[in-house]
Amino acid sequence: MHTLPFERSTGPVCVLERHALVEVPLSEIGPLRDAAVPEGAPALPARFLRHCDEQTVVGVRAVLEAIAGDPQPVEAFARYGVIAAPRCAGRIAAAETLAAAAQAGSVAVSPHVVPQCSLHAAASAVSVALGMHGPNLGSSGGPEALSEGLCTALSLVHASGCAGLWLVLSEWDEEPALDPAGRPLDDPLCRAVALALGSRAAAPPDAVTFTLRAGDRAVEHRPAPPGAPSALAAFSAALGMCAAGGAIAAWSHVCPWGAEIRVAAPAVGVRTPPTGLASREAA
Amino acid sequence: MVAHHEASRAAAITGVGVVSPLGASFAAVADELLAGRSGVREIAAAAGARAGRQFAAPVVEVPVPAWPGCADFAELGRLEQLCLAPSAAALVDAGPAAVSAGTRLGIVLGIGAEHLKAWELDFLAGGRRVFEPRRDDTLVHRLARRLGIAGPAVTVAAACASSGYALALGRAWLEAGQVDACLVGGCDILSPTAIAAFHNLRALSRRCDDPARASRPFDRDRDGFVMGEGGAFFLLEHRAAAARRGARVYGELVGVGMSSDAHHMVAPCGDPREAARAISTALADAGIEPAGVDYVNAHAAGTPVGDAAEAGAIRLAFGAAADAIPVSSTKSMSGHLVSGAAAFEAVACLAAIHRNTVPPTINLDAVDPACALDHVPHVARRRRVDVAVSNSFGFGGANLCLVIRRAA
Repeated sequence: MHTLPFERSTGPVCVLERHALVEVPLSEIGPLRDAAVPEGAPALPARFLRHCDEQTVVGVRAVLEAIAGDPQPVEAFARYGVIAAPRCAGRIAAAETLAAAAQAGSVAVSPHVVPQCSLHAAASAVSVALGMHGPNLGSSGGPEALSEGLCTALSLVHASGCAGLWLVLSEWDEEPALDPAGRPLDDPLCRAVALALGSRAAAPPDAVTFTLRAGDRAVEHRPAPPGAPSALAAFSAALGMCAAGGAIAAWSHVCPWGAEIRVAAPAVGVRTPPTGLASREAA
Repeated sequence: MVAHHEASRAAAITGVGVVSPLGASFAAVADELLAGRSGVREIAAAAGARAGRQFAAPVVEVPVPAWPGCADFAELGRLEQLCLAPSAAALVDAGPAAVSAGTRLGIVLGIGAEHLKAWELDFLAGGRRVFEPRRDDTLVHRLARRLGIAGPAVTVAAACASSGYALALGRAWLEAGQVDACLVGGCDILSPTAIAAFHNLRALSRRCDDPARASRPFDRDRDGFVMGEGGAFFLLEHRAAAARRGARVYGELVGVGMSSDAHHMVAPCGDPREAARAISTALADAGIEPAGVDYVNAHAAGTPVGDAAEAGAIRLAFGAAADAIPVSSTKSMSGHLVSGAAAFEAVACLAAIHRNTVPPTINLDAVDPACALDHVPHVARRRRVDVAVSNSFGFGGANLCLVIRRAA
């Protein structure tokens, strides 16, 4: 084992300021692009979501719901960064694009497909739509999006020199099946969880905290069994319970490389009514 | 105070691997960059491509990695080949002592459109993966398994700044004690869909009559960028750990600055303030004054708005010192490696430091007055380079600046 010259403590690295879960069937994402924002949330630029990927639309909505839960002027987040960790985003647009290009050639390739369906797109959409000037980047894009997204956010929340970070995690409950033109054949649920993470220094005593502990060794990584609830759904449920003072006080997620991410509610006796901590769900 | 800051946050670069239009080794790339040679050439048009000559900066030959378990290299997809070759090369270059048993080694891959590229390559080969409801593994985890990396493995993406964010995250992991060493970098490939999308966006140069002169950053007659492919990887270690084992250190990553324009999903931001803030933050992180910088490797891709905005950001961040700091864009030679660009341009900075020579901006015949800086047109400039700054900007307003310093 190496002796690290600048190892930090394994204490909490940041706090949960607010969060929201949004789940929307694919068939309802189209109308959501032009829907009014939730009451108390900042307005979006006109038609901003019209070219966005489905997971981006739902992810932006989750951020708006989280803000609406405890309304703040959008300027309060001007120095926040944004990290988005979607899972297999952009496939519907990619399928439509490839099918169209095979028929009509390169003129059929939309100029929006790269900027709106790449891994950075959801983070950039939140940054642009809500005027956030901290770093914006995508993370993962694959089956380990929860681990990679949390790890990236907890690693950069202090390194990036910003006031806080939004982390937007998203996925399809079941991956959409597509016809040969790229049109969906079913109506899966798109899920997004948005979390605002803040500096620990400014935390109220009753804040939910996040801890990232480096693994000493990688653990054997086994895929979840068929039918198991998705890791993001479980994370969202645990987050809600920790934040609301429910049945659990802590929840731990072990990454494939052995690092442990721990979400902890304040100790009993410290908990006070959740002022300043917004939690909201919308379906 | 400054000395402590620098000592505690410097990440030593002890291994370099590169695969690019200008070569597949640090020495070869340095030779080509400093000689001012272009990697841009005519390429075969894909089926359904627009009429006219197609040109880009392709990787002509991908070396088979000298790494165990790569016997099937020829059967891998091109994206995987272009990532595996330089990442394995960086580990080989660092030497076995850098990644011996017990070293907690992580990997950060900067790549912006991995799934789009993978679906496209499969589709063009007759596959149907893009239509199927499956969740494919990501490249970073396949690379980790092949390279024996048991620590954290994460993909990051910030469009054309993706691989620079990989360096930033790897350095943050080192600093936080999450890893002992970290393989960081990024890569990209040319693909018909990406070329068509950027062409339809009117972001690409249309100078098909003379491909090698098409990439013209900062030039008055620039008309867009030229796509390239390839990228680079680095092994980052704590400076103290590298010193203890007597490692060769190419340079040190001593500063990172990140910001967002929050302006538009596609269009560059004409307001230079956020890009300048990324540069100033990186310099402050490094504890280096603007006048202490010896070279700026600009992001400048050859787009009319983007180059002028970057020139403004450099002026804003460096102030009067900008008059005496040579600036060049190596994209004039390499083309735009997109996800791999920031990492490749970090190689260019290391080359400038090692050779004490600033690479040129070729094809810079007449500087756009809106881009007035201390340019290095056509021919490399000899001067001592101890500190180099590399800018990278991406779609969605991502701004990144890296500060790389000669090893202490």
